[in-house]
Amino acid sequence: MKKTASDRCRSLLEQLSKYIDDELTPAQRRSLSAHLRRCPCCQTMAESLQHTVEACRKAGSARLPADVRTRARARIAMLLAADAGQRART
Amino acid sequence: MTPAVTKRTETNPSTGGHDGRGADYASLLRAAQGGNQAAMERLLMKAQEIAYRFSLLVCGHADDADDAMQEALLKTYRHAAQIKEPAAFRTWLYRTVKNACLISRRKRVDEPARLHSLDEAAMAPDGSVQRIDVEDPGRRPDQVMENSRLRQSLHRALQTLPPESRLIVFLREVEGLSTREVATVVGISEANVKTRLHRARLSLRRHLEAP
Repeated sequence: MKKTASDRCRSLLEQLSKYIDDELTPAQRRSLSAHLRRCPCCQTMAESLQHTVEACRKAGSARLPADVRTRARARIAMLLAADAGQRART
Repeated sequence: MTPAVTKRTETNPSTGGHDGRGADYASLLRAAQGGNQAAMERLLMKAQEIAYRFSLLVCGHADDADDAMQEALLKTYRHAAQIKEPAAFRTWLYRTVKNACLISRRKRVDEPARLHSLDEAAMAPDGSVQRIDVEDPGRRPDQVMENSRLRQSLHRALQTLPPESRLIVFLREVEGLSTREVATVVGISEANVKTRLHRARLSLRRHLEAP
């Protein structure tokens, strides 16, 4: 097994995001999968890129801090109460 | 050896995003437009959550978050009833939040830019961590610490990206918008989104892998 990146590796690097996003054609996907099985260098890169994407997704699952959430709820309550009061007057 | 890469799929662009989140927004909006107050409250909370994450991760200014959340709340409430295409609501919301955050930033142009992390935002004045509110109940402390380190590294890595690339990563990876939705919010072509996203991923990877 080769340990260093070749021209073929460099050309496939451009396809890795499409691979992660499932945007390759079936033939391209088979070809890239076969290369990744043979090439530890590209496989490491693919896994590392996937971990990067997953780290970003985890950031999106963080909830608001409790005090920020409390203020957000209070704003909603004030807005809806003010609107209800205005409608009651008209 | 089989590559340990999981596929990430693009869902129906008309509903938007992956994980069905675009469809969630559309159905929430329809319910809110129909007079369902609980749906309206959830929609207004979502608008504020997006504004908070945007302020921290894209603008890098936790101090602006309250202003941006207030602006996103008011705009969503005022305009929710007028939106004719619920499927387009999500991109409208992100454009609104983006503009609200930029307006908040302009009010504070004299302050230096800095990227905050959700963990930094959770730091009390005495240095104690008091508000880590991540959805990981039951996680072992070492896993929580590892996640916390990962988030801090990610925030530092995000800071190194050009602003537009940071915005694209935020919308696509953190918020889960589809490529088409990201293109609509940012105002560039889908092909351009894909190219910039790929470069941004490689750049983030380099920074995350750096010792």
